[in-house]
Amino acid sequence: MTDVVEAAIGESDLSRQDRLAQLRNRMASIPAGGDGKAVLSFPAGASAGVPVDRAAKVGILPVPAGIAELLPQGGLVRGTVVSVEGASSLLVGLMASVTASGGHVAVIGQTRLGVLAAYEMGAKLERLAFIPAPGPDPVEVAAVLLDGMDLVILGLAGASVPPSRARAVVARARSKGSTLVVTDGHWDGAEIRLDARVDGYGGFGQGRALGRGRLESLSLAVRARGRSFQPRTTRLDICSAAGRVEWRPTREVSAAQVVAL
Amino acid sequence: MSRVLALWCPDWPAVAAAALADLPATHPVAVTSGNRVIACSATARAEGVRRGLRRRESQARCPELYVAVADPERDARLFEPVAAAVDAAAPGIEVLRPGLLVLSARGVSRYFGSEEAAAERLVDQVAAVGVECQVGVADQLSTAVIAARRAVLVPPGGGASFLAPLPMSELAAEPSLSAPHRGELVDLLHRLGIRTIGSFADLPAVDVASRFGTDAVLAHRAARGEPERPPSARTLPPDLEVEQQYDPSIERVDAAAFAGRALASLLHDKLSGAAVACTRLLISASTGNGEHLSRTWRCAEPLTPEGTADRVRWQLDGWLSGRSEAKPTAGIAVLRLEPVEVVSAGALQLGLWGGVGDEDERARRALVRVQGLLGGESVQVGVLSGGRGPLERITLLPLGDERVAAHDPTSPWPGRLPQPAPGSIFVDNPKVVLRDASGTAVYVTERGVFSARPARLTWGSKEWAVQGWAGPWPVDERWWDTAAVRTAARAQVLLEQSRALLVICEGGRWSVEGVYE
Repeated sequence: MTDVVEAAIGESDLSRQDRLAQLRNRMASIPAGGDGKAVLSFPAGASAGVPVDRAAKVGILPVPAGIAELLPQGGLVRGTVVSVEGASSLLVGLMASVTASGGHVAVIGQTRLGVLAAYEMGAKLERLAFIPAPGPDPVEVAAVLLDGMDLVILGLAGASVPPSRARAVVARARSKGSTLVVTDGHWDGAEIRLDARVDGYGGFGQGRALGRGRLESLSLAVRARGRSFQPRTTRLDICSAAGRVEWRPTREVSAAQVVAL
Repeated sequence: MSRVLALWCPDWPAVAAAALADLPATHPVAVTSGNRVIACSATARAEGVRRGLRRRESQARCPELYVAVADPERDARLFEPVAAAVDAAAPGIEVLRPGLLVLSARGVSRYFGSEEAAAERLVDQVAAVGVECQVGVADQLSTAVIAARRAVLVPPGGGASFLAPLPMSELAAEPSLSAPHRGELVDLLHRLGIRTIGSFADLPAVDVASRFGTDAVLAHRAARGEPERPPSARTLPPDLEVEQQYDPSIERVDAAAFAGRALASLLHDKLSGAAVACTRLLISASTGNGEHLSRTWRCAEPLTPEGTADRVRWQLDGWLSGRSEAKPTAGIAVLRLEPVEVVSAGALQLGLWGGVGDEDERARRALVRVQGLLGGESVQVGVLSGGRGPLERITLLPLGDERVAAHDPTSPWPGRLPQPAPGSIFVDNPKVVLRDASGTAVYVTERGVFSARPARLTWGSKEWAVQGWAGPWPVDERWWDTAAVRTAARAQVLLEQSRALLVICEGGRWSVEGVYE
């Protein structure tokens, strides 16, 4: 805390009143249960840990760090259909990585996705649109949106899309160069299937410190399956650092965790 | 079976430019846009001037060439007398673009005795206003237009065999009948070895539809001599027409352009409300002296607001400043736009602006189309707001509204939740029960601590053991306002089998705000 205070005093020659007001403001903005980390604004161009060379590649949509290693192309190939199931952080991370790199994302149906979580991962909210109530035919809405969006997340609400219908939408995605992510339902012929499970939390107190601390990180075990490659599994952490939320790959995967998936 | 007559004036932009410059028909003329020739007269072509040539190069080949800059308004204005002349002999014409119009051949051939006689009569009629034209008749619109370029009357049922030996490029030659990327499609098919319309028509429709885009399907239908628009064009929803009265009446072209733009946007509000797009538009006007003018415009692509405004402007320009015999004797007092044919809004093709760097515009248009289908509130965009809980910190607003946060995010929000935010949010806050080891309900006391150590959490029919927790963090909002005061406390609860919840206690009852997953 002291270095923050000194920096604030040292860098300005404000009046005593102003300085006090400024410091009070800083103290008030420390989050509940805070450990002294002031909340800093995002550095310009902050993204969800997307490697720049990957994001710049034509025809590939960037994904959070850690997920990239799972995919043969290092990202979501434009014009394909990807199925995502399990923990919603994975969808939130995709929303963040695509919008942070300048893409447009539309979310159909899925009203429960944490928009604030996406923002913390670096999502650009102005490039993120939500269609919470798509009416009787969400697939038709998705087909319209594939025209202009880079990524369309389609919540099927448990429905199963027949192959004949799916083919027409896939053809549209391919011709428009946008990627369709389906979740929460059955879609025949997705090129890649991603499955994420929560694998533990960091930051909660244990033993004598029970009831202290706060949730700081979330571990995910993610499995990717596809037609063109062997199933791969990875484990990664989503953790809060320096005012933003980052995805960090954890290399070692124990055999038990693979079996658990 | 329908018969369509197309009337085509060759090199119309060049003809219009020459007419305006009072040049004789034999003088070589070229029209340029962006320093490239886009149209030239027959005499210029004989001297070696071609479309796509640079201006300097074309002047070098033909030194006496008259060069004019492209001007769609000039083209439309000078075409109006031609349209009026044809309309006088055969009512019910539809203008595809300046230089090309179509009409139903049935009535006119019956009136003049035969299709040949009708064609001859219309060519004479147009020649009377000093313009050369060619006429083609066929079963389908696109076939008739291609026939007009060759001045052929295709016998009934002979569309496909007439088209078969023609080169593929004919399908892309008429810009008002094909999507903007038709040329690329033709080029691709040419490289695949498909050189004639007949060999394209021989491909199975299913294969074309599954390998190429929507436009290829239309091109394929045209190649087979089938109706290029599927017969299931939408039935017209009622009350789509818009009408505006002007007082004082419109006399000048710039006032007309302004009026046209306002009316076009009014029309498109109605169209998007009905989730349709317009492909054929009737523009009609009444003057102060009681004259009625009307003209139908027909387009290959559904009209955009800009496209509608352009056509209204061209048409008004033609009526007001044209050299037509039917030039109104007074200003325009009433203007009316009426969609004659509509398609579902999903058919509104993008790509007209779809160049690089237009991604934002493309995305916006796709979203606006969904808004048109589902209603104004259906598409939402978030903006960061001030607040303490995850739901309060994002304000969702309908697309198109000004993005104003409900609360100022830069203000301090003591008691705000720490990062990271939960990945799943519950809007309806399902109720849960938190109990201690002895089964007594746990709540948050006035002093902001748990009344007992939480041990079990019940959510519906399921129950978990509590393995850890963080908080509680009191939320003491609007204490200065007795009506809106909110006292609550948030806590993070870690359950067995690895599931962490964000819960909130209000009035001694717990509910779930989010899941960290």
